[in-house]
Amino acid sequence: MPAITLVVNGERRTADVAPDMPLLWVLRDYFGLTGTKFSCGIAQCGSCTVHLDGMPVRSCNLPVSAVGGKSVTTIEGLSVNGDHPVQRAWVEEQVPQCGFCQSGQIMAAAALLKKNSTPSEKEIADAMSPILCRCGTYPRIRKAVQRAITLAKS
Amino acid sequence: MTPQLKRREFLTLSAAATGGLMIGVLPSATGEATVTNLADENGGLLNQFIMIGIDNKVVLFNHRPEMGQGTFASMPMILAEELDVEISKVEVRQSDADDERYGSQNVVGSRSVQTEYSNLRKMGAAARHMLITAAAAKWGVPAGECTTEKGEVTHGSGMRLGYGELVAEAAKLKAPENPTLKDPSTFTIIGKSIRRQDIPSKTTGKAVYGMDVQVPGMKYATIEHCPVWLGKVVKYDSATALKIPGVTHVEKTTRTVWGRTVEGVAVIADNFWAALKAKKILRVEWDTVGLESISTETLKKKFMDESSRPGDVLHGQGDTEKVFTGGAEIIEARYELPYQAHVPMEPMNAIVNVSESGAEFWGSTQNPNGIRSFLMRKYNLKKDQVKINYTFMGGGFGRRSMTDVVEEAADLSSLLKVPIKLIWTREEDQTQGPFRNCSLNVCRAVLTRDGTVEALEHKIVAQEIQNQGGDEMKAGRQLMGGVTTAYAIPNVSIRGVLQKLHIPISYWRAVYHSTNPFAHESFIDELAIKAGKDSLSFRQAMLKDHARWSNVLGEFERVSGWRAGKKPGTGRGMAICERSGAHFAMQVEVRRENGRIVPVRVVTAIDVGTCINPDTVMAQVEGSVMMGLGAVYAGLTVNKGRIVEQNFDKYQMIRFNQTPEFVTHIVASSAAPDGAGEAGLPTIAPAFANAIYDLTGRRVRKLPMTTADLT
Repeated sequence: MPAITLVVNGERRTADVAPDMPLLWVLRDYFGLTGTKFSCGIAQCGSCTVHLDGMPVRSCNLPVSAVGGKSVTTIEGLSVNGDHPVQRAWVEEQVPQCGFCQSGQIMAAAALLKKNSTPSEKEIADAMSPILCRCGTYPRIRKAVQRAITLAKS
Repeated sequence: MTPQLKRREFLTLSAAATGGLMIGVLPSATGEATVTNLADENGGLLNQFIMIGIDNKVVLFNHRPEMGQGTFASMPMILAEELDVEISKVEVRQSDADDERYGSQNVVGSRSVQTEYSNLRKMGAAARHMLITAAAAKWGVPAGECTTEKGEVTHGSGMRLGYGELVAEAAKLKAPENPTLKDPSTFTIIGKSIRRQDIPSKTTGKAVYGMDVQVPGMKYATIEHCPVWLGKVVKYDSATALKIPGVTHVEKTTRTVWGRTVEGVAVIADNFWAALKAKKILRVEWDTVGLESISTETLKKKFMDESSRPGDVLHGQGDTEKVFTGGAEIIEARYELPYQAHVPMEPMNAIVNVSESGAEFWGSTQNPNGIRSFLMRKYNLKKDQVKINYTFMGGGFGRRSMTDVVEEAADLSSLLKVPIKLIWTREEDQTQGPFRNCSLNVCRAVLTRDGTVEALEHKIVAQEIQNQGGDEMKAGRQLMGGVTTAYAIPNVSIRGVLQKLHIPISYWRAVYHSTNPFAHESFIDELAIKAGKDSLSFRQAMLKDHARWSNVLGEFERVSGWRAGKKPGTGRGMAICERSGAHFAMQVEVRRENGRIVPVRVVTAIDVGTCINPDTVMAQVEGSVMMGLGAVYAGLTVNKGRIVEQNFDKYQMIRFNQTPEFVTHIVASSAAPDGAGEAGLPTIAPAFANAIYDLTGRRVRKLPMTTADLT
């Protein structure tokens, strides 16, 4: 198999994997970036959300060969010290319970705020509704997105 | 006999606490634990324990696995309160798995705080007492003249010493077995919201879940199970599967669920993607003869037919039959609930290495002790030959209290002589169960002429978790969980009609409290309406002599604004329940948005006894309500012996845009803590259905609700 080279969190990484292997498994099992999670495998829950050139994508059904030269950002690369406004807001609002889906939630919120620093309630709902949380942290996610908007401005 | 702390562990811990103080508790025959410390020559084993270092740092070894329920805040808070240190000085570390030392570590039934409250207080109080004694001796003053303040012992003269400066001396003292505890009215930490220590790592991707663990030399596995329960493997195509690069083995597996053997076919590979691909082309032929006749419709018919049986009396008073045969109008209603899947976001998985010298497990579990026992039994190992490494859980909800997935991984490891990381796909998770039970509830009542309930019968037709096999056909009391028996009704009969099916069920968040209250609290509402009475007043009248319920309903009345009436264009409903000791009353407000009835606001008054971390209790209520609301909108359908909704494309999980506003009021109490981890789930469905009736005059008696129900 030819080695595949990706740019992940600003670094060039190489893996000898099948070209149809979803990006998720390359990140988790070859690069040790386990913050991105597997949950449904059919792009319905968003636990595997990463950024591709800043856009949120589901990595569980994205063949690694389709990534090309696009820059991949995972939860580990969102900020150096875990202090991205969305991450700070998530701590301040005490969002996570089990926490498993929260990388996906945070990546979805971060992508939204990057594109639109003052999203409407509907825009927030459209961006966050694809990401499932079984613990039911949605009320806090709602507050945390608002707080992140404020934190990002300051 | 006191088991001994292993020497290796003792040395490691002692080294970590060089010159420090360690305090633990020992179980006693009476069940009331006593405090001890390692200064005892024969102290050997400490059960739960804490360490206070010369650097003033306090380390608490939390032996309750964390799945989001907040033990990483509540446990150190209880300790810090009695020890009198700032909560920021207490570091929580997850302990190992050892039930001889810690007692049960199973995290089910909202028990962690309930069972550890007393022990943690005692440990904190004992350590504080010893530190004061050490300081008094150093200063040459009576201990009674000394007190503590945020990690320091102080004396009226102005002398003060940090705990770290005293631990070496304190460690030479004998710990008081039953130290004096604080008067709860003087608590400064318990009852004030703090942030959970596990949360930062859950925002950076650093928190480690079972699925994230990598073990050197491990192989990956995934398993195809028969979509029809108990189907047997006839044959499969391993040759094609083995052609996929990375796939190394295809093996038949078995796992045990409530005594029944469930077969599967595992693909083992060098990477998980290869295993996933191969799983899809196994072309397993299953023997499902005699297993495909069951469906949601046949189940409904069977349950309806059998509801005419008298069933077994689970609870009763007075003589309902006499009232029902007395000629008065009998009000009857039937309520149906479907099977549900647990759906932890982290699919079931396990990493196991079985070798000649022993067995080791890595992963997320609600039941570390159960896994140890299972591995000891299965491979004839001694306790110290089994090592359990447990991580954060990506949700449990009851599913992770079972050991069936561990069994599959262990068997594969034992067979192939390598560590196996087994991950189930979502489809397996969703279709294999064990599930939350489905049920039919038949409620009957007679009202008196002045509109009070004279007789009430609630018959529960359902499977029982602890009685799924064998010949025992008598229903047990477990079946009636969540039925409020506190209502003052002169003639009551709660009955169970036990169902035995080969569809496996298990504990699901709130268990039978997730099903029965939908029927019971909807029916109470129907009776109130029939009697021409207000829903809240009707309940209050039946609970007026119950001090705790009266208080909770009084607080509910105040915070819900119930007496102010409903807003135009809205409907509202209420329900109450007791779960794991917590008593709560809930109001749901609904209105139509874009033609669909939605819950817009959920107000809860909850009495959890002494509340440790209010923010966690609120989070648990919010989460429980969301999970319960999910079960209002979606359920599992059975067709030809299999589950129809195999993944989230068919099983519509509740999402962000369906989230109501929450108001959660915690009722002040100094009683012992109750469990809060499932509170709110039992009441959301009936309160929602009652609100829909209030808005539309239509009664919804079946879950999941349909589009018509919600229009």
